[in-house]
Amino acid sequence: MISPTCAIAGIGATEFSKDSGRSELRLAVEAVRAALDDAGLRPSDVSGLVTFGMDNNPEIAVARELGIGELRFLSRIGYGGGAACAVIQQAVLAVAAGLADVVVCYRALNERSGRRFGRAIASPDPDSGWHHPMGLATPAAMVAMVAQRYLHEYGAVPDDFGRVAVAMRRHASTNPYAWFHGRPITLDEHRASRWISEPLRLLDCCQESDGAVALVVTSLSRARDLPQPPAVISAAAQGSGPDQFVMTSYYRPQVASLPEMGVVARQLWEQSALTPADVRTAILYDHFTPYVLMQLEELGFCGRGEARHFVADGGIELGGRLPVNPHGGQLGEAYIHGMNGIAEAVRQVRGTAVNQVPGDGPVLVTAGTGVPTSGLILV
Amino acid sequence: MDSVVSRLLAAGETEPRRGRDPVNLPMIRNWLEAMGDRHPGYELFAPPAMIQVWTMRGLSPGAPDPLQEMSVALDEAGFPNVVATDSEQVYHRYLRVGEEVSVRSRLESVTGPKRTSLGEGWFVTTVSTWFCDDEPVATMRFRILKYRAMSGSSPVAATPLKPVITADTAFFWDGITAGELRIQRCGECGALRHPPGPACPRCGALKQEHTVASGLGTIHSFTVHHHPPIPGRRAPYVVGLIDLAEGVRMVGEVRGPRPVKIGDPVRVFFDGGLPVWRPDLPIVEPWTLEVTPTMIISTALATRDFQDVHHDRDAAARRGNPDIFVNILTTTGLVQRYVTDHRPDAVVRGISIRLGTPCYAGDTLTFTGTVVSGGEIAIVGRTARGVHVTGTVGVAS
Repeated sequence: MISPTCAIAGIGATEFSKDSGRSELRLAVEAVRAALDDAGLRPSDVSGLVTFGMDNNPEIAVARELGIGELRFLSRIGYGGGAACAVIQQAVLAVAAGLADVVVCYRALNERSGRRFGRAIASPDPDSGWHHPMGLATPAAMVAMVAQRYLHEYGAVPDDFGRVAVAMRRHASTNPYAWFHGRPITLDEHRASRWISEPLRLLDCCQESDGAVALVVTSLSRARDLPQPPAVISAAAQGSGPDQFVMTSYYRPQVASLPEMGVVARQLWEQSALTPADVRTAILYDHFTPYVLMQLEELGFCGRGEARHFVADGGIELGGRLPVNPHGGQLGEAYIHGMNGIAEAVRQVRGTAVNQVPGDGPVLVTAGTGVPTSGLILV
Repeated sequence: MDSVVSRLLAAGETEPRRGRDPVNLPMIRNWLEAMGDRHPGYELFAPPAMIQVWTMRGLSPGAPDPLQEMSVALDEAGFPNVVATDSEQVYHRYLRVGEEVSVRSRLESVTGPKRTSLGEGWFVTTVSTWFCDDEPVATMRFRILKYRAMSGSSPVAATPLKPVITADTAFFWDGITAGELRIQRCGECGALRHPPGPACPRCGALKQEHTVASGLGTIHSFTVHHHPPIPGRRAPYVVGLIDLAEGVRMVGEVRGPRPVKIGDPVRVFFDGGLPVWRPDLPIVEPWTLEVTPTMIISTALATRDFQDVHHDRDAAARRGNPDIFVNILTTTGLVQRYVTDHRPDAVVRGISIRLGTPCYAGDTLTFTGTVVSGGEIAIVGRTARGVHVTGTVGVAS
């Protein structure tokens, strides 16, 4: 059981762009250094590094570039963006077990100027062999299959997806760090955007971004001696569901659901002794709009099939019942595999976010949807 | 260009323009011969798919019509190339030899600029009505794409994504080769499972056997893929999640005459080493024809279409084509032939087609059809390059 023994003491990021002009390793180094500076720590204080299975930057290379020296904890989490909150959980486990004092979690990618995730690739993974050759070869298409079924089961319409995109872009429009700063969209613009994979349009899909984010995890007692107010990790959970696949969990009775997020949600509420009603703001993984609706349901913020009403009533807007992604999310700020969302959650706890949600209630963060995933509650 | 569009939209329907000749047997016979259509019914009546032929301008343009005026305006705006993309014809009745036909046309819409697989361009849609005296006998909505060819564009990679074959999955792919859709069955408890794996999740046995599926299913969900390009495929195409009658689910392409819906019954067939699904409807026996230069040129001339790309290979090449290609009036005629060869007694009420990849000299064109209902036959014409034409033919018996 995770008890609130650890905190996020530092956050760092590069700029978010479509062409960083630098290597992914350099982005990683810049972000880790920025996070350490923010935490008031030096590279030599770091004893652990954790990243995503998909990250191209070895822990030892990051350590070499920063002059970290010895590492005592090295770990990676698989399943793409599903790793985002799980890397923090890894750090907590290491610190709580006394294996490491300061663990930095990082993710660096040139996802727009380098290999674009939105493109089809030939994968050697046997699971992908049931989908890619059949023409279902991109993340958007894989999500679209679920989204179509969701529309069918709950009587939702593509505008319900569009309202999520509009809200995220509105939030991003007042965030100077967001790629889409100053560029809100209307529902009509969503309706007019081109099909990617029906029922998903271009504006249902997050951007492809270059950038890096790093987060410093240490014990709560040490964090209290550091310059920033600690963002206490009240809960950290990981989960996969029955008959889990990566983006293609189509062989379960209910296709239009995210049981893996349910596994995470139950642990988060149990570990933190909080309920959905306590949450001040939620950072929900928004690589594709339909999964924001489904997460609201799976996390218990509304009943199954009811998220569209929650969204249409302005529930996810700034000032709404549950402001979602005040930074603009991955649809609006940048797609750094969910790590920029954790940084936003830390800012919300500190009270330093550009679109600060008032109050001092807990902040919930989720990781990639449609894959084995993870979540956090910060207080 | 905007001024031309608004002027034509405001002008409405043109004055009637008479065809050069009345409906006549020599032109009908030329047309039938070029199309290879041996239907015995066309001595007194003209083939309905000839409707456009009677008022084709040929080589001596007269009064301008909206399509021609828009073409010129778009030439000047830097979109010099043209392909016909859609033709929706409705025949109120068959025309008799000796009848005089005139046509009136109006511009319906001009949309663009759009990015297309050929390049950036504008879609121009016109509506024409043919008359014998004051009696409307046929109408047509006709759409062309005026475009500028893409420069330096790379063709879609031709190699499709390959299945991943392991010791646990080989039986499935061996089945496809054998013309069977196989489902893993546990040799111990009999549980069916897809996708397959080495163990039985129900009883734990490591005894993999298989059963052969009936090939019937229903659509549980689907997506229409548009973007980005997928190796070896031409978008848009439909991928379905199929509930098999046996109780497992499977992902596969769905090819059919119309947009699919969740719950539609489908039936499997095999193409390119993959299971593909189609609506579970009666089919029309496929028809394959070799598209020769002679066929392209003779049909173009028999339809009074003297566009150079249908008879002059150098001209076709200058416009970015590998060879001369079939004109849309001929595709319409071939679609009619395919349906009336299958149902010689049918009265053709309408032919709506959409063109995809051009059909070039040297291509092999295969038509397949599905009887959607008693009055509607859906057709698809494919070459190795992709889908040349999709459409529906309305018939009355």
